[in-house]
Amino acid sequence: MKKITTKQLTTMAMLTAIALAIHVAEAQIPAPVPIPGVKLGLANIVTVYAVFTIGAGPALMILVARILLGSLFAGQAMSLLYSLAGGLLCFVVMLLLKKILTRNQIWVASVIGAIFHNIGQILVAIVVTGTPAIVSYLPVLLLSGIAAGLFTGFAAQTFIHRMDKKS
Amino acid sequence: MKKTSFWVILICVIAALSALALLWQHHQAKADAVIANVYQDGELVRSIDLNQLTEPETFTVTGPAGENEITAEPGRICVSHASCPDQVCVNMGWRSDGGFPIVCLPNKLVIEIESAADENPIDGVVG
Repeated sequence: MKKITTKQLTTMAMLTAIALAIHVAEAQIPAPVPIPGVKLGLANIVTVYAVFTIGAGPALMILVARILLGSLFAGQAMSLLYSLAGGLLCFVVMLLLKKILTRNQIWVASVIGAIFHNIGQILVAIVVTGTPAIVSYLPVLLLSGIAAGLFTGFAAQTFIHRMDKKS
Repeated sequence: MKKTSFWVILICVIAALSALALLWQHHQAKADAVIANVYQDGELVRSIDLNQLTEPETFTVTGPAGENEITAEPGRICVSHASCPDQVCVNMGWRSDGGFPIVCLPNKLVIEIESAADENPIDGVVG
């Protein structure tokens, strides 16, 4: 692994802090529908930004740090497992998509990532509870995930384009 | 640009399939389902025929994250109290059909209403 420069470290630390702040703030908003797993996932904006601008390694570190600290501040021990499974699956898929998407299709990575995030969550929920019937939540989660993914995806894409113009 | 339309179509197809599955679930839920199965950590701890109940019944299930108090009434069931902070399972309210199971993830608790149609698959045959 390459040595991390001070600039990179600062960027990563700042992005982690932003993602964590969004994560904790979002956890304070009551869930719009009483279905476990439905949420906006605003912190994903930071993950998308990191994947598309500063690269895989730093993005992964930011994601894992945010999920670990976020669960510590705003969640329960169990929610860590779901966030981690969903987050990592989403991350891998976005990383693969990064290779084939143009700068104007960044939102696609976010939507497909959200879909895989939901699939990861459901898989962990099935394994943890030992109840395959939970799969009946998948359609609701996919619909809400696509909507949330569109929103965070366009937010991230706009942000990336603005940052491009600045530098 | 061609590529963007591919992604748009793909996402629309996934969304449409989800919506269809949702409609199908809703349709299934109309079936005459009355048996509530309570699972903890994948094991069936209670099975209640909701139509056989004459008065409300309350019992407690203990899991790794605390307790869930479950109340069953004639025709419906809910989690009435939970010791967890987020109360998702309590907010899910009463269930009287097989639409969605009530789930408490921290406690590995699932309450599923069995569809009567499952037990009698030839119900729909005409003639």
